[in-house]
Amino acid sequence: MTFLQPWMLAALPLVGLPLIIHLINQRRYQTVPWGGMMFLRAARALSSGYSRLRHWLIMLLRMLAVAAVILAIGRPLSRGWLALAGGARPDTAVVVLDRSPSMQARAAATPETKLATGCGQLAASLATLAPQRCLLVAADDTLVEIPPATLADAAATAPLAASADIPAMLRAAYDHIREHAAGTAEIWICSDCRSNDWSLEAGGWAGLRDAFAKVPQQVRFQLIAFDEPPAGNLAVRLTATRLETRGDERELLVNIVVTRPEGAGRATVPITFEIGGATTSLDLELAGHETVLANHSLPLGRGAEPRGWGRVSIPADTCQADNEFYFVYGEPPPRVSLVVAEEAATGHVLELAASIPPSKELSARADRPSREGLATAAWDEAAVLAWQGPLPSGRDAELVERFVSRGGQAIFFPPEAADATVFAGLAWGDWTTHPQPVHPEQWRSDEDLLANTLSGGALPVGELEVRRSCRLTGEHVPLAALPDGVPLVARVPDGRGIFFCATLPRPGDSTLASEGIVLYALLQRALERGLEPLAAARQEAAGPTAVALLAPGAGLRWERLVGPPEAVSTVAGLQAGVYAAAGRLVAVNRSAVEDAAGSAPPERIDALFRGLAYMRVEGLAGRGDSLVQEIWRAFLIAMLLALVGEGLLSLPRRRSSSPATVLEAAA
Amino acid sequence: MFSDRQPRKFLEPAVLSRLAGVPLLARRPMVGSVSGRHSSPHRGSSVEFAEYRKYVPGDDLRRLDWRAFGRSDRFYVKEYEADTNLRLCLVLDTSGSMAYGSTKAGGAAVHQPLAKIDYARRICGTLGYLAGQQGDAVGIACAAAGVVRTLPPRRSPAHLRLVFDVLEEAKPQGTTGLCQVLHELAETTRQRALVVIVSDLFIDPDGLIGAFGHLKFRRHDVAVFHLFDPQETAFAFQRPTRFLDLEGGGAIFADPIEIADRYQRALAAYLERLRQLVLESGIDYQRVLTDEPYEQVLARFLVGRAMARGLR
Repeated sequence: MTFLQPWMLAALPLVGLPLIIHLINQRRYQTVPWGGMMFLRAARALSSGYSRLRHWLIMLLRMLAVAAVILAIGRPLSRGWLALAGGARPDTAVVVLDRSPSMQARAAATPETKLATGCGQLAASLATLAPQRCLLVAADDTLVEIPPATLADAAATAPLAASADIPAMLRAAYDHIREHAAGTAEIWICSDCRSNDWSLEAGGWAGLRDAFAKVPQQVRFQLIAFDEPPAGNLAVRLTATRLETRGDERELLVNIVVTRPEGAGRATVPITFEIGGATTSLDLELAGHETVLANHSLPLGRGAEPRGWGRVSIPADTCQADNEFYFVYGEPPPRVSLVVAEEAATGHVLELAASIPPSKELSARADRPSREGLATAAWDEAAVLAWQGPLPSGRDAELVERFVSRGGQAIFFPPEAADATVFAGLAWGDWTTHPQPVHPEQWRSDEDLLANTLSGGALPVGELEVRRSCRLTGEHVPLAALPDGVPLVARVPDGRGIFFCATLPRPGDSTLASEGIVLYALLQRALERGLEPLAAARQEAAGPTAVALLAPGAGLRWERLVGPPEAVSTVAGLQAGVYAAAGRLVAVNRSAVEDAAGSAPPERIDALFRGLAYMRVEGLAGRGDSLVQEIWRAFLIAMLLALVGEGLLSLPRRRSSSPATVLEAAA
Repeated sequence: MFSDRQPRKFLEPAVLSRLAGVPLLARRPMVGSVSGRHSSPHRGSSVEFAEYRKYVPGDDLRRLDWRAFGRSDRFYVKEYEADTNLRLCLVLDTSGSMAYGSTKAGGAAVHQPLAKIDYARRICGTLGYLAGQQGDAVGIACAAAGVVRTLPPRRSPAHLRLVFDVLEEAKPQGTTGLCQVLHELAETTRQRALVVIVSDLFIDPDGLIGAFGHLKFRRHDVAVFHLFDPQETAFAFQRPTRFLDLEGGGAIFADPIEIADRYQRALAAYLERLRQLVLESGIDYQRVLTDEPYEQVLARFLVGRAMARGLR
């Protein structure tokens, strides 16, 4: 139990006061010569168990009354189940608030969202607890001091479109506690425990747990878990847009996905599209967990702008955050590639793979600048760089770095001769000639350049034959590997678009060219990625990437054209909406995993805090009672009850027979 | 009858003079050595007709009722009541518990409770005096852990003074030996007597059954003055108290508030058993609270006996 004035507990030994008074009273007896000892002895023999029990009950109630007074003055706090965690008032309280879209779900009978309920509970609880410092982990993982009372309505606790990164927020809290906080600290986590927010599979949890365990301060974790799924919630998402032009008529083809809980029956939901102020709607019949509406045509009209934005929405339900989705559209930028190759045949193959567009409506071009003419190459237009030969160094390296930094993708192929040049932490080693052609045995089919197709089919990576491969040295993330573990395709671990392919498409080296699907997919996917920053209209998931994209700088000043009215955060990339700057449009929405992920099992969450002082409280949207309450009144009532009980037990018992009655009865 | 040089504290002339008008009578015939005011089991020559009896050879012919012979042609002897004197045996309990006497706040009250032994002295002394006045023999036995002192009944005034001396010198001490004294008295007193027991009877009633039965078997008339101090029935203590046994049985520590109710229940159970004993043995039982004037108690006792005699 926690006390606001724990020093009062020093008076608890006074509980023994009634006992001492009783003993003193026992010493103050009178001595009387007495004749009728036979009756006294008989009376003592008649002494019942109840009489002794009553005697001790009176003593106990007196002690309880004293204890209740002392505890009441100590201003005890009720923390529900949290009381079991024990401890006194913390010196520092750190609030880790999950502000992801799923936290905007609400219970069916209440308009209050999980986030609002949690904030209210935190505000009330921390106001009662009154720690010396109350800190909130902000969206950028910095800690800001915030008065507990304003937690419920501060902009810093407003909902976001971005998923939460609970491990990163806890890491930020840890850094602060380790460096600044003295005394005890409590970390209050309010979350709906979605697996994507908690990154359960991330390897950093063990280290984080160990770090908290070793911190010299006492740190307690209180988790308010709103893991009850919203009932009957629907989520709408636009997965693709394609602008079609027929003469001067334009139409927009969109793919819509409506997600709902498993096991729901057939239903129809009206879907509303809003483009340029015009609204259209259709009724979509839902079947199963996920319903896809593909290539739905939205006519833009004659002479319509080839660039614009819109919004798709469904009626309000238990979670407002996933009821609308913003999108932008525009003509795709030209597919420009740069091919730099020291070996002509390889360069030709790469040029072919890069210059053939995936559809005839698209235009593609592959430039082959010489290494000496790199400075004058079309770096600003290019989306992908295919480089075969010694890794770039000096000024060439700077050009490539700048290209990659603005979102371009670079794929490096090995040189003919070994070269010690290091780029992005990696270098080419010696060539290995395999006696027999080898096939890649494993590759990342779930993500990145070699991922399965949209229809779910796998790329024929395993059918490639590799006769020669070049060793790659340095830290990398393999995307495909040969049987002896030699990486065939790898990327740099920092997430930038820098890839390495450890063989050449020549017939003596591999079948990359003769079975060109893999090479083509590799280059075209990299091209698609590289085009994203160049596109005039771009979809982006709310999060760090969007924040970096929409960050002020490079002469761009992003302006939000549309977005949910409740979005008050000043960090653009964390709020849903459409942003515009210099003729470019960016639509920011919640990430796809927000619609797909479910709540993590409680035991999984609890396991993350194993060995730490941790307590979990189940939250319920709309039930915003404070988790911490002063309960001194209860102790005063207990004291009164104890005194009343003591008084009742101490009342002289009605004598079964008065002296006169005794004599008369026996007369 | 007594010299003024020997004033007795337990004798109050005013009380004696007021009670002198009521005779001390036995409830059953006494066998005395001289003529007196008490009925005798033998037929005598008093004026009080008793009964007719058939003549048997040897009867005095002068006592034949000739008129009855004339009417019935049978010989009847006319018998009359014989009056005789009384043997009064006083049994005084001198156990330690008889020393108890509570004092009330405002001791100037009219009826300040006496110590039980003093109250008993007054009863014994007054009864002895009244018996002596009407020519009865008076004896005394003090009971405390055995017979402390015994004087057999005598009719002489000198003997009465000895009885008063014993009363005056009696000191309560030790445990009671009342039952043993009563048995010895029943054995040693051959002739019928009025046995007056003055005691607090703080003994097991089962022990008294045998003693009273023994006295009744010897055809003694038994009267009991059962003394209680008011505090012994009220048990009105407030503070935790250490009770010292006046009969030397050690001490008991008790909180009177806690134990009072059970004390009352134990007392009631004891009195109930005693009531059964009195009913079964037919003794003359007087329960006395020592804050009641002893004159009143004695008057009730004497008048009750006189009225019983009158009804008979």
